[in-house]
Amino acid sequence: MATPQHTESPPAAGQARIAASLRARGDQLLVMVLLFAIWQGLSLAFGTYWIGSPWGVAARLARGVASGEVLRHASYTLLEAAAGFFIGALPAIALPFALRRLPILTAILDPFMMGGYGAPKLALAPLFILWFGIGIESKIALVAITVFFIVYFSAQAGVRALDGRLVQMAQVMGANERDVARHIVLPGAVPYIFTGIRIAMPYSIGGAVIAELISANRGLGYLIQLAAMNFDTTGVFVALTATTCIVFLGNWSVSAVDRRLLRWRPRPDLDMQAGS
Amino acid sequence: MAAVPVLEVRGLSKRFAERRGRDPSSWVIKDLSFTVNDGEFLTIIGPSGSGKTTLLNMLAQIDTASGGELFFQSQAAPIDDPKSLKPGLSRKIGYVTQEDNLLPWRTTLQNVLFPLLVQRRLDSETRARAESLILAVGLAGFENHYPHELSGGMRKRASLIRTLVYDPPVILMDEPFGALDAETRAQLQDDLLRLWSLGRKTIVFVTHDIAEAIALGDRTLVLSRSPARIAGEHANTIPRPRDIRGIMTHPQFAVLYQRIRGQVQ
Repeated sequence: MATPQHTESPPAAGQARIAASLRARGDQLLVMVLLFAIWQGLSLAFGTYWIGSPWGVAARLARGVASGEVLRHASYTLLEAAAGFFIGALPAIALPFALRRLPILTAILDPFMMGGYGAPKLALAPLFILWFGIGIESKIALVAITVFFIVYFSAQAGVRALDGRLVQMAQVMGANERDVARHIVLPGAVPYIFTGIRIAMPYSIGGAVIAELISANRGLGYLIQLAAMNFDTTGVFVALTATTCIVFLGNWSVSAVDRRLLRWRPRPDLDMQAGS
Repeated sequence: MAAVPVLEVRGLSKRFAERRGRDPSSWVIKDLSFTVNDGEFLTIIGPSGSGKTTLLNMLAQIDTASGGELFFQSQAAPIDDPKSLKPGLSRKIGYVTQEDNLLPWRTTLQNVLFPLLVQRRLDSETRARAESLILAVGLAGFENHYPHELSGGMRKRASLIRTLVYDPPVILMDEPFGALDAETRAQLQDDLLRLWSLGRKTIVFVTHDIAEAIALGDRTLVLSRSPARIAGEHANTIPRPRDIRGIMTHPQFAVLYQRIRGQVQ
């Protein structure tokens, strides 16, 4: 019955997708080699005093990982970023749902939220260090506030993008307010929430590193600061590389969760892999 | 069949609210009265823009009326105040809309089970009913597909049985087969008549296709251009079970077609 060609196509489409994905991987490799070549060229032109060579950085990184020193600092930064991320993201997701039926309160809060979104959060770092000290608390606070506003606005967009016809249909079938919130508003908002999370994730790691730059005795930001003070550019590059690796790792995990939760959406082909 | 009215519409009128910089709109529906009998397949036909969807939205209680009364099994159902609206009248009135309105994040089976889930009636018996409906409309093998993986006709089937599965006594249908190709459409009309003959629900089926209105209905109401009024009423005694593809050759079909066409402007 109906149109079977619809279901016969996936294998062929799947093969085409794999081919396209391999092709993209190959091109990505090419770009990476090109970037390394430029880096090596600059390092040769200006000397390793100003720009550490890729090889030197890789060797130092390997030594740092082997001795456990890089991992120790990296895991500290990762801990700050992850803690801040959850402390910021969870209320940012919950709040638009709580405010959904309160348009007046939403309207009152909106300009303040917008102000919070627009304010340069990194400028708050010195303030947070004054308030919370140079320990882990001030870094978590900075990450949390950065993540909060990004995720809040995307979750709010998701709640507002609600399709009223789906709600009416569900009500006709006997759904109550809670059913609507759980089965229609929430799943409809998930793609928007993930867009926010995807954007906020690198900010959370960047925020932690920058807070450490200002004042810390541990973490990758501290490592960068220490190396720079010793005119050790290779050391700076090692810490930067480790930071980038963490961002990649974060992106990859977000993509994995995202793909699992959003199986119901048409496959957006290659743009998913672009981040991982 | 003794005519027991299940749904009664008296003097129903609708105009959309005034907005700033816009005159109050003219009447979409004015002083419309008709009854729907228990177990009847009523088709309503009218030109596009004649307020057919607005009418069904009011019957389904998802839109307010500007005037008039609605009775369900002789009980008044308040429809003039948005706060007292009861969408679907406590699951008494099902509504198959023009768009399929399937939930994109639920599979075919999960969509069909959705009304049972929110009505807290999910058990092995109702699940079996859902599965037999899926089988009856040829969706077997597609239970775990998401709506975007289904063809237009399959989505229509899913949206149709999603309403049939919880067995509301009255079902409203708003041009459900409007956007389909002729063959898929005939198949779906066939499926619908077959399923209806098993349960004999009351159906109010809106369409702008005269042939469809005659092929499916026991009775056809013709709506005038807006403001919508009843322009004609036609009893249809073509015997059932009907053969959708052969019905055009029935002598009564041609007579009805001519008469209805004269009234649809």
